[in-house]
Amino acid sequence: MSDVNTASPALPASRNLHRFANPGRFLRLSGRILPPVALIGLALTVAGLVWGLFFSPADWQQHDAVRIMYVHVPAAWLASFGYASLAIASIASLVWRHPLADLAAVEIGPVGAAFTALCLATGSLWGKPMWGAWWVWDARMTSVLVLFFLYLGHIALVRAFDDQQRGYRAGAILALVGVVNLPIIKYSVDWWNTLHQPASITLTGAPTMAPSMLWPLLLVAVGGMFGFAALVTARTRAAVMERRIRALTLAQVRAQA
Amino acid sequence: MTRKNRRLMLVGGVVLGLGTATVLLFQAFRSTGELFVVPSKIAANAPKGDRAFRLGGMVEAGSLQHLQEGTKPAVEFRVSDGIASVEVKFVGILPDLFREGQGVVTLGKLRPDGTFAAQEVLAKHDENYMPGDMADELKRTGWKPENGAPPAAALWNAAKVGG
Amino acid sequence: MTHLPFILAAYGLSIVVVGWLCVDAILRTRRARATLDRIDPRAQR
Repeated sequence: MSDVNTASPALPASRNLHRFANPGRFLRLSGRILPPVALIGLALTVAGLVWGLFFSPADWQQHDAVRIMYVHVPAAWLASFGYASLAIASIASLVWRHPLADLAAVEIGPVGAAFTALCLATGSLWGKPMWGAWWVWDARMTSVLVLFFLYLGHIALVRAFDDQQRGYRAGAILALVGVVNLPIIKYSVDWWNTLHQPASITLTGAPTMAPSMLWPLLLVAVGGMFGFAALVTARTRAAVMERRIRALTLAQVRAQA
Repeated sequence: MTRKNRRLMLVGGVVLGLGTATVLLFQAFRSTGELFVVPSKIAANAPKGDRAFRLGGMVEAGSLQHLQEGTKPAVEFRVSDGIASVEVKFVGILPDLFREGQGVVTLGKLRPDGTFAAQEVLAKHDENYMPGDMADELKRTGWKPENGAPPAAALWNAAKVGG
Repeated sequence: MTHLPFILAAYGLSIVVVGWLCVDAILRTRRARATLDRIDPRAQR
């Protein structure tokens, strides 16, 4: 072990990172952490949703429609959180040429797009009975729609090249350019007047929401984070195995030729 | 279809998608991205001439009047931003959240007499969420929804203790 | 206006979409694992 370390003293950081690039090691390690992460995610999400749907109080003016919040807000957080993780994977892919980061970025795309679509759809279902409109072109809703298009663009772009490496690179550049949209989404409700209300939960101030509504919301949100991580990990594991299958099949074909 | 063609279509799709996204972005954020104009800024920010725009603000307490226009329900109310207010007339069904003291965004045209003829009224929710019994408790201790937002959530427990 | 259909639609849609993501991930992993076990001699551990 010390031999390996002294062999390339100039690259300790990348060496560390690339330890996880070993597919066998990744499969073993992720196979061990995936079940607990998925279970925690499922348990927290189900608990939060049941709490929110049946036990949390109705809002004084929205009545029971406020319960849509327990799916809409976590979906919205996951949409942005997922895009941030896509950007981090893209940096790892561009800077360190990390093969697992390439695969993870490809797998984050569809999951993030699904949660963004959920955010838009549940928002629409909430907006119609409360505001009186399915959709309004205000800064918050438009910027989230742009996030959805960014995910779709990434999904298409990473699959658009015969040379996979070029697809990874193009997707990573798109993902990083799109990061500018994240602060726009977050602050759209403060920078411009919108139909969408400002944030109830901020890092700096006290939440403007009763604790009996805040707790189920946080449960679903944290459970969703675990669930998102579990989904992406499971898909990346499958992608690692699929890549190995492709390589083995190719080697077999070559050996027979 | 050849692989090259498929690739071309995919890249074309991406360019088209991103182009649409950018256009939508600038479309929505043109005139600095505001969704509506508040009453005190009508002179400065509302479109000139006979063009529809969105007027936003708070429904002034005590200004709501239910009327009848033929067989249809109609309402008149004043939309205020605390500095100026505008008389709004609307024929149609109001959203559930509409009430005095609520934020609204209305789409319509300004008439020569200075009133606003709305063809659509949307209710704006604020960032406060609270259970019904908490609202009752706050109303008992003097909060009037038609005058504006409830006290900060951090104070609710104090109100409960006090009430 | 009754809100129940909107609430049910929002929850139903969320469960369907997330459930589909989960099923897809599980099936994809199983398929890859089965193929790999069949063709990869090193997988015989």
